[in-house]
Amino acid sequence: MKRLQEVKSNEALDLYYPTMCEIVDAKQLTDLEKWYELKLPGGQDLGHEPGQFVEVSAFGIGEAPISISSSPSKEGSFELCIRQVGTLTKVLKRYEKGDTLGIRGPFGKGYPIEKMYGKDILIVAGGIGLVPLRSLINFVLDNRQEFGRLIILYGAKNPSELLFTDELDVWQRRDDVELHVTVDQGDPSWEGNTGVITTLIPELDLNLNKTIAAITGPPIMYKFVVMSLKSKQLPDSHIYLSLERRMKCGVGKCGHCQINGVYCCQEGPVFNYVDIKPLEEAL
Amino acid sequence: MKPKVAFFDFTSCEGCQLNKLNLENDLLDILKHVEIVEFREAMDDKADAYDIAFIEGSISSPSCVERIHDIRRRSKILVALGSCAVNGGVNAMKNLQPIDEVRETVYGEDKYLFATLPAMSVSSIVKVDYEVRGCPMTQQDFLKLLVSLVLGKQAPRYDSPVCVECKLSENECLYNRGMVCLGPITRGGCDAICPSFGQFCTGCRGLLDEPNYIGMLEVMTNHGISLDEAKKRMLLFNSNEVQL
Amino acid sequence: MECYSLKQSDVPALIDHLGAYGEVIAPHRKGDVSYSFEPVKDSEKVVLEYNRTLLPLKKCFLPPTEKLMDFSLKDMSYKPTEVPIKPAVYFGIHSYEMQSILRLDHSMLSGKAESNYFNRRKKSRFIGVSFSPDEYHFSESVGISIEEMEGFDLYLNKVSDDYQLYIISDKGKDLLKGFDKLIQAEPIHVEGREFNKKIRYHYNRLPRVFQYAYHSKVWAEVAERCVGCGSCNLTCPTCFCFDVNDQVEVTAEDGMRRRSWDSCMLSTFAEVAGGENFREHTLNRTRHRLYRKFKYITDEEGLPWCVGCGRCTAFCPADISMVDIINDLIREDEKAQFHKTVRV
Ligand SMILES: Cc1cc2nc3c(=O)[nH]c(=O)nc-3n(C[C@H](O)[C@H](O)[C@H](O)COP(=O)(O)OP(=O)(O)OC[C@H]3O[C@@H](n4cnc5c(N)ncnc54)[C@H](O)[C@@H]3O)c2cc1C
Ligand code: SF4
Ligand code: SF4
Ligand code: SF4
Ligand code: SF4
Ligand code: FES
Repeated sequence: MKRLQEVKSNEALDLYYPTMCEIVDAKQLTDLEKWYELKLPGGQDLGHEPGQFVEVSAFGIGEAPISISSSPSKEGSFELCIRQVGTLTKVLKRYEKGDTLGIRGPFGKGYPIEKMYGKDILIVAGGIGLVPLRSLINFVLDNRQEFGRLIILYGAKNPSELLFTDELDVWQRRDDVELHVTVDQGDPSWEGNTGVITTLIPELDLNLNKTIAAITGPPIMYKFVVMSLKSKQLPDSHIYLSLERRMKCGVGKCGHCQINGVYCCQEGPVFNYVDIKPLEEAL
Repeated sequence: MKPKVAFFDFTSCEGCQLNKLNLENDLLDILKHVEIVEFREAMDDKADAYDIAFIEGSISSPSCVERIHDIRRRSKILVALGSCAVNGGVNAMKNLQPIDEVRETVYGEDKYLFATLPAMSVSSIVKVDYEVRGCPMTQQDFLKLLVSLVLGKQAPRYDSPVCVECKLSENECLYNRGMVCLGPITRGGCDAICPSFGQFCTGCRGLLDEPNYIGMLEVMTNHGISLDEAKKRMLLFNSNEVQL
Repeated sequence: MECYSLKQSDVPALIDHLGAYGEVIAPHRKGDVSYSFEPVKDSEKVVLEYNRTLLPLKKCFLPPTEKLMDFSLKDMSYKPTEVPIKPAVYFGIHSYEMQSILRLDHSMLSGKAESNYFNRRKKSRFIGVSFSPDEYHFSESVGISIEEMEGFDLYLNKVSDDYQLYIISDKGKDLLKGFDKLIQAEPIHVEGREFNKKIRYHYNRLPRVFQYAYHSKVWAEVAERCVGCGSCNLTCPTCFCFDVNDQVEVTAEDGMRRRSWDSCMLSTFAEVAGGENFREHTLNRTRHRLYRKFKYITDEEGLPWCVGCGRCTAFCPADISMVDIINDLIREDEKAQFHKTVRV
């Protein structure tokens, strides 16, 4: 048990004060999602790992956990992509280039990059789940020779909800990226796959020993994706998932993010499947 | 441009209206942000549009229905003020009696001259964007909402029970003093004003989303009131919400 | 351990003496039948014989609501709230309450240590007092005796009408410098202060019971009666979850960010935008509350995270009893064990 006497004065931290960051660019990507590029004072690097998140705040409105969408290899600024669903996120729709946002973080554990070097990376992104995974994807692309295959499965409800379409085009054209996009419901101009994301999995030809899967999406997606991957015989320990929970502090104090006894903001949001399998509240 | 704000009155005791006029010091601050273009009634000949329409009172006659549709058409944001507007409030007690009986008690011999409907919340007729709960609503709540609207923020619904604020103020729980209180299932946001002054909560701000009705009745009857009395207490402000 | 006798009538003088170190906070009467920790204005008003305060001592270190910062919407700037390091004496504290502070230390200081809490806690001194258990106390069942002195600087043990004062730490000794109403004494063992409410198992067997209790029928039975008011968490000395929200002045120009105690028994605690609720039913929440006290943290720290103060039970409008729930789980576990043995 941690005792008061063991804590030195300089170890006690001001945990709740944001750093004010300038929005250097912003763009509405879809009806619901907006992309922002932010700069820390003095152009410092955020120093994050792919999969980590920050707490974004606008005074008078509140704070919310948001994944970092850019790769750590991008210097001088970082990117977020926010879906407008509630009090804060709807107000953020009005934030433009030149405005400032409060940022705390980076928080949590991201993807275990060390363990991923030399491996085939299988990305499974559902909807807004692409936001944190884009950080990993771009990190892999920026260090392409360090990794094996890069397979990206991306599913959205319909074509108009697809995020980062410019980048999807680029990835599509690269021959060192295997991109498979699907939508639940197509529209007349849609020529790609239709069907939920799990329909893309049976086709895959995976090198099981070498493949590491990273999954992010809406809560109901996980069970089905994990099931499909298991039926392909991918070992549990090769599966990483990023879980969403209500979060009020990001620093392991407020208690909101608990999954049974585990604090999602501390042990996660990225978890190895082996570690969450015993947690009844996880999936 | 300052948002154009209007107030309209339906079936209510006007307690909320009075409350609003009591805003005194704060009034000047508010006026900096909004322009009040209408105060109750008299909008027949005006074809104005409003940025924010505040509605008080419940809907209880066919002419009310027509009028509220008209206001909704002209307003960008529509806010229900006070229990009566939010869920029918005390007015909705009449819904528990057959409607003919109500007419008779209220209008006596003339009962057939007046069409009356069950007292309904504004939201059962038109879309309501925001609500300020309470009977009467409190000034702070009204101001909070107004400020949110001025900031363009979706005002969060307060969805914790009155007990939370009661505990945070370290009140002695009325149950420990042998009284019966509706705090556990009532939507808070009032700073537990009644228990803080030794009065039990009557549920004036409406109930939580999925209250444990049976559990609550058990709590109340275990603390010395009859099942009948317990139900009555629960229904007082919330007869349109309670499902027993 | 040094032991002195102190006359009941000299207690106010002791409190006044302690005032030289810093503000003294002690139990006072509140309302008809309750008590509360308040700063001492008149030492005669301090009540040393009390069952429990409404809110736990936690409120002095992690306040029910606390301003984290002031901000300005005009230029999007903020001013942090400085929490000064002030000396204070907490007088008349029961052993379970002290134990709750030690647990709270762990919660707020392990991992990332929080400065707000640390500053409030830094120069605090604790003077314990013995108590007579009422129908709700069960701290003995979670390993905390009435005379448990860990964490205290001084301890007052009621012996017939007067007190015996124990000096537990050097800091405690310093506090007494210049106080001349003490007479050296032999420690007396006080008999007859029994706990009425008991958990049937030793607390170190509880994690095992909980290990198999996840799908127990007991949770649904409790959930049927629980009205979800949150009082059990909000009065618990070891609960520390909080909510954060922003408040804006009527001028729409300035405001503040505050945090306030939250409760995992409230239906929205684990709800996220989009409507997903990770603990949707009262059953899930009740279970979580008890697992937080007897399993999750206990597995890591080896101690129950409940100190047996009885508040969650005494202040529950539905009379849901912590001890009864646990004894029900134990009974169910025994039944299951029995059936297993019979089958074999
Ligand atoms: C680790 C993590 C990463 C995330 N990354 C992104 C991202 O990159 N882009 C994106 O658009 N969204 C992301 N989300 C979801 C995002 O945090 C919520 O949509 C957001 O909190 C909603 O806040 P609000 O104030 O608009 O909504 P409201 O419903 O008004 O929420 C009020 C408060 O509840 C809490 N809350 C509500 N919903 C959530 C939620 N889903 N997750 C956590 N807390 C919640 C927040 O503390 C919030 O301040 C992420 C969530 C987590 C946990
Ligand atoms: S007095 Fe009423 S509102 Fe306050 S805690 Fe008791 S039941 Fe809840
Ligand atoms: S305590 Fe209850 S009755 Fe009193 S104002 Fe609040 S909700 Fe209304
Ligand atoms: S105090 Fe009792 S009724 Fe209220 S949430 Fe806790 S267990 Fe349920
Ligand atoms: S769980 Fe109940 S008895 Fe245990 S410490 Fe908390 S309030 Fe006290
Ligand atoms: S977000 Fe507060 S503890 Fe994890």
